[in-house]
Amino acid sequence: MTTAARDTAGRSRFVPGQPDMWAFVLFESLVFTVYFTVYLVHRSQDLDLYRQSQTHLDLHIGVFNTLVLLVSSGSMARCVQAARECAYRTALTNAIWTLLFGFVFFVSKVFEWTTEIERGFTFSTNEFFQFYYFLTAIHFLHLLIGFVVLAVGVRELRSPARRSQETIETCATYWHTIDYLWVLIFALLYVVR
Amino acid sequence: MSAASDKRLILAWLVLSAITISQLGLGSLDALTPNAAIASSAIVIALVKVRIIFREFMEIRHAPALLCRLTDLWVVSTGVILLGSYFLGMALSKG
Repeated sequence: MTTAARDTAGRSRFVPGQPDMWAFVLFESLVFTVYFTVYLVHRSQDLDLYRQSQTHLDLHIGVFNTLVLLVSSGSMARCVQAARECAYRTALTNAIWTLLFGFVFFVSKVFEWTTEIERGFTFSTNEFFQFYYFLTAIHFLHLLIGFVVLAVGVRELRSPARRSQETIETCATYWHTIDYLWVLIFALLYVVR
Repeated sequence: MSAASDKRLILAWLVLSAITISQLGLGSLDALTPNAAIASSAIVIALVKVRIIFREFMEIRHAPALLCRLTDLWVVSTGVILLGSYFLGMALSKG
């Protein structure tokens, strides 16, 4: 729905972004639910190994990464609001903040992996670390795709001829998905005992 | 950007951040003892955060009822599946 159409519709309800993206998001969420379930079931088979291995993860980095993604996601939500109100300069600034904080997460995650590998905890160390690297890597892949999606949003915001509220919202929907999937990964890998 | 919508987003972000920092305390508790209370709290808290992200950042509160229900259904069913997997796994490993 265009901005003008939404203005006409007043306070009526709307699907933020393209419905196809929501179908994709819900599908991805179901796929991740399966991953999480498999992780918890395997975890219950060897609780001692998983709990011992969990102590080698840095909870502070996990919290830092979560906060960084939350700031990034919050900036994207502000970008959407600003674009809806035709404050495109503010929207662009917030989209760039979103990208920057996404990049901070990128660097932090690479640093965390490097630290774990240097300490001898690799993919082949044990089953917990196989899940750790698998879940964080698949999330990382979504982050990389998210950078491309955000670049599309920034490109739209920079050019008055290309601006589409629906596209901005679609980009935001994808980016927030990266955020909430990380929230669950963080809880399961770092916090659950 | 309207002040009201901006305030609401900032409030949502503050709540999400506060909950995340509180998880630091939860995760710092005895790591080597199985603790169902910590596990279930971690899962429930994470799902509360996800729902806040859905409603406030992803604007689900303005979406049609079907999308609201679908996202809520996913949150609740994920909670049931994850908690079920955790407790069933614990029970089977003891048995």
